Amino acid sequence: MVVNYPGEFEVNGKKIVIDEDGFLQNPEAWDEKVAEWIAINIEGIAQLTERHWKLIRYLRKYWETYGVCPPIKILLKETGETLESIYELFPDGPAHGACKVAGAPKPTGCV
Amino acid sequence: MSKIVDPKEFSRESREPLIKIKLEDLLKLEGLKEEPPIKDPPAAWTQRYDFTLDGHAAVGIPIPKNEEEKRVLVEKFLKGLEKDLSYEGNWTFAQQFKLSLDYCVKCGACEEACPIYTASGKQNIYSPLYRSEILRRVYRKHFTTAGKLFGTLVTGDIDENWQLITRLIELSYRCNICRRCAQVCPIGIDNGLIAREIRKIASQELGIAPKELHEKGTVLQLKVGSTTGMNPEGFKKIVKMMEEDIESKTGLRIKIPVDEKGADILLIHNAGEFLSWPENPEAYAIIFEKAGLSWTLSSEPVGYDSVNYGVWYDDIQLARIAKKHVEIAHKLGVKRIVVGECGHATKALVVTAERLLTKENYIPRESVIPILAEIVDKGKLDLDPLKNDFPVTLHDPCNIVRLSGIVEPQRKILKKIAPRFREMEPHGVCNYCCGGGSGFAIIHSYNFDQWKNKVASRMKVKQILDAFRQELNDGSFKYVCAPCSNCKGEIRDFISHYKLWDKFRINYGGLAELVVNAMNEVKNPFIQKDEFH
Repeated sequence: MVVNYPGEFEVNGKKIVIDEDGFLQNPEAWDEKVAEWIAINIEGIAQLTERHWKLIRYLRKYWETYGVCPPIKILLKETGETLESIYELFPDGPAHGACKVAGAPKPTGCV
Repeated sequence: MSKIVDPKEFSRESREPLIKIKLEDLLKLEGLKEEPPIKDPPAAWTQRYDFTLDGHAAVGIPIPKNEEEKRVLVEKFLKGLEKDLSYEGNWTFAQQFKLSLDYCVKCGACEEACPIYTASGKQNIYSPLYRSEILRRVYRKHFTTAGKLFGTLVTGDIDENWQLITRLIELSYRCNICRRCAQVCPIGIDNGLIAREIRKIASQELGIAPKELHEKGTVLQLKVGSTTGMNPEGFKKIVKMMEEDIESKTGLRIKIPVDEKGADILLIHNAGEFLSWPENPEAYAIIFEKAGLSWTLSSEPVGYDSVNYGVWYDDIQLARIAKKHVEIAHKLGVKRIVVGECGHATKALVVTAERLLTKENYIPRESVIPILAEIVDKGKLDLDPLKNDFPVTLHDPCNIVRLSGIVEPQRKILKKIAPRFREMEPHGVCNYCCGGGSGFAIIHSYNFDQWKNKVASRMKVKQILDAFRQELNDGSFKYVCAPCSNCKGEIRDFISHYKLWDKFRINYGGLAELVVNAMNEVKNPFIQKDEFH
């Protein structure tokens, strides 16, 4: 962790709000610059590779379409990754790592 | 040593908490050699939000910035309390609320029954009696003739300043509303109800509620269809995944009915099941199909999510959601609504909503558990209990068992399909809450998870360790059967906190999964013994 949160930050001229668990609270402000910022400053991932981006873009689209991040089964099936490979790319895992970088807010409801 | 906090101290303005949670005070957990330490909250939180009850926050009420904000807090609370005591202002619970405030004889039976009070090492602020006593003193002082005439002689010392109000609201979120106390009260006082009425005044009159329950809970559900944020298209996509999953796991090709007009049953699951535990709705699809029931799911917003968080904190939101569930059922033309394995949803729609759903709003509603028991009992499935040849214990969700009186059906099923089933002690209507009751399972604000794991769930952790005492260290797979989504969420969290899966192979899941796992027709194991999620 490089920055202290919760708090408000400016990324590429946009104001972003990060909650106490490091999730974006104003997901509409997300863009790829914000994703890079979250990856570096919150998830400690120095460099996003093409495999990272493939997952991030998939999750972002899923969240924008369905209002929620996918269950693990759908995620693995539709991206061809394994749970282990996702943990290699995002050490905090699919929900607290990959979805966070994709700008989805903290999961809600009885999940 | 636990600390005795005099009710007079409850209004003391200070940034220091009234008590601190320390490991050495807490109920001992036999069989566990170590557990994570307790951490203090960071200053960034305690400077902005009220942590002065016990160094934890579920609600996180911002500290008032000036005298005006302090005055408004007190004024609105008193006004809300007045309204809550009137039949016009509180059509659901005014009578029980007033009677519960008027007639306590302070015998203390409720204290001994309370798992939070006991597990905390008997911290008096967590006693059901204590919380109610604070409110009673305010009530007597302002709303009874004797209190107005004779002052502290009848009210006891109390100074209802802003600090008392914020602490009292936070304290209303240190009760699971399991209502074990109400069950043992010799005169029928419901201290759980008093805790809930405090929450209700906070939400309806002061706009104060944990964001997971309100903003990200009922408001989100009414807006997009589910507290998970999942929209109807997201739901339909998961239904398709479940059909594929059933086929690859069991070889059975099953079409899951969605929006089937004129079916007998509208089955509503807690939407958390689809995302976190899809094997539970999958199991019901298999069982209902094999039992030949006429049923459907709904893809209408709110129709695919049985949750009703209003039952924990707000009557207005409760009514809005219950009404929506019934409208959807009427539109589909079903004969009844069946609520899946979810305790609070059963309480909300089957029990509490009874007062709301009169005349044109009426429709029969019931829990799925007795239906499942009937299917198993009548031999509609070909079952081999030896397929469930591992230790199983049963967690009783408070809202299913103590509140709704559904006690034997789940036991009848387990006795038939799980040869190594053993009860927890105590169980049935004397059960203990998982620690996730009344919304705690989904409140993860600030450091509330720490308080839940250490205090609220502690009694349940002890019960589970005790139930598996014989096999605890033999490396065998163990199953805590919890027929409730919220209980499962809480059990998953404390299994992780205390490392019960890593150390003892203690896993958890619903009831229907065990039934499908025992089906002869299902060749591969339906319950995955090498996986914890």
